[in-house]
Amino acid sequence: MLSYNSLRIVRPFRALLHPNWLMTNRQTLTCSAHCVSNNFPKKDTWQRQNNLKPTGNERKLQYSTYAASSPRNYCTGQFNLNCWNCKQPLDQTPAFFCMTCKAVQPPEENTSLFNIMDCDYKFSMDTHKLQKRYLHLQRSLHPDNFSQKSVQEQEYSESYSALVNKAYHTLLKPLSRGLYMLELKGMVIEEGTDSGADPEFLMELMEINEALDEVKTPEEANKIGQHTKGKLAVLTEEIDAALLKGELQSAKALLAQMKYFANIEEKVKEKLSEFM
Amino acid sequence: MAGTVAKTCLSPLALLTRRLSAPEFITQCCYHKKVVDHYENPRNVGILDKNSKNVGTGLVGAPACGDVMKLQIEVDDHGTIVDARFKTFGCGSAIASSSLATEWVKGKSVDEALTIKNTDIAKELCLPPVKLHCSMLAEDAIKAALADYRRKQQDDQQEAVRASV
Repeated sequence: MLSYNSLRIVRPFRALLHPNWLMTNRQTLTCSAHCVSNNFPKKDTWQRQNNLKPTGNERKLQYSTYAASSPRNYCTGQFNLNCWNCKQPLDQTPAFFCMTCKAVQPPEENTSLFNIMDCDYKFSMDTHKLQKRYLHLQRSLHPDNFSQKSVQEQEYSESYSALVNKAYHTLLKPLSRGLYMLELKGMVIEEGTDSGADPEFLMELMEINEALDEVKTPEEANKIGQHTKGKLAVLTEEIDAALLKGELQSAKALLAQMKYFANIEEKVKEKLSEFM
Repeated sequence: MAGTVAKTCLSPLALLTRRLSAPEFITQCCYHKKVVDHYENPRNVGILDKNSKNVGTGLVGAPACGDVMKLQIEVDDHGTIVDARFKTFGCGSAIASSSLATEWVKGKSVDEALTIKNTDIAKELCLPPVKLHCSMLAEDAIKAALADYRRKQQDDQQEAVRASV
C-alpha cells in the first residue's frame, strides 16, 4: 500500500514540475495544493500523513499534489494546516503561533497583507489601529524574542517579522495601499510612457517642478508643499470612491497621478531639509 | 552592507557622497560613470520658445516612477534639427537618457531622428534592466517632439493654402 500511494504522489508531482504549470498556474497551484486538505475527509488526512516519508519538521504540502491536475479542486476557501512542531491543526489563519505548543509558524504563502494586519479590505484606513496592530505583532514576532529558541523558530520569526514590516509600510501610505489593492485584482501600472496622459496635466506637473527647483526660501517651498498636500487629499478621496465602486481603471489612472504628486512631496521635503 | 549601499545609490543626492566613500562598490551597483557624467554635466538643459513655428515640444510622463520629461527641438528650413533642449524631473538615468537624446538629435534630419531607439540609448549609457524604461521615456519624448513639429508644419501649410485662396 505504501508503494502504491507513493506512486500516486510521484506522478502528479512530476506534472507539477512541468515548466508551463509553474509559469502560468502558480497562483492556482498553491491554492489547489492547500485546498486538497479540505477535500479529503478527516481520516484520509491521517492516512496521508502516515504514508508521508519523513521530511523533518517541515509541513510543506508536497504530499498533497494528488489533486493538482484536476481543476475541480481549485478553490479559495479556508484551509486547515498543521503545526510543524506538534502536528496539531492550526485553528486560525493567519496563524502566527500554534495554540497547542506555542511554536512560531512560518508565514503562509499568498496571505493578503490586509489579513495579516487584521484590516478590512478597503482603501480608507484607520492608521492608528494599523500601528497598534503592527506594534502588537512585532512585540511577539520580533527575532530578538527568539534568540534562545531553535534555528527553525528563529528563521520563521525573521520571515514573519519581515512580512509584518512589509504589510505595515505598504498599508500605511495611501499610494502603496492603493497600488497593492490593484495588484490583488491583477492590475499593475506598467513601466514606460503613459500615452494616454493629459498634456495639460503633464504641463502642470512640469510647472510645479520648475517652481520648486527655483525656490529661494523655505516659505516658498512650504507653499508648494501645501498645494501638493491639497492635491493628494483630493486624489485620496477620488481613489476611495473609485475603488468602492469597483472602477479599477479610473482608480489606476488616479493612482498614477498620485505618484507624480507624491514625488513632488518628496522633493519638497528634500528642499526644506536643504534650507536647514 | 552592499545591499544598503545599493539602495542609497539610487538616490542621486546620496550618490555624490557615496562616490567618495565607497569607490570599490561603484562598478558593482551604482550608476554607470556615463550616467553620472550626464547628471553632473548635463548638456542642453533649458527651454526653447514653444510658440515658435520651428520648435517641436514633446512632454511625456512615466506613471510607474513619476518621472516627467520635456524635450524640445528646433528645426531649420531644410528639415535639419539645429538645436535641442530638455528638462527632466526624475532619476539620474532619466536625466542622462534625455540629455543624451538631445545630443544625438542635433544635426539629424527629422526623419533620421525618428530612427533613434531606446535600446541604443540604454546601450550607450550602460543602463541596468531596472532602468530601461528611462531610455524608453527618452525615445518617446523625441517622437512626441517630432510629432508636435510635424503638426505645426501641417497647420502652417493649411493656413498658407487658405490664405492663398
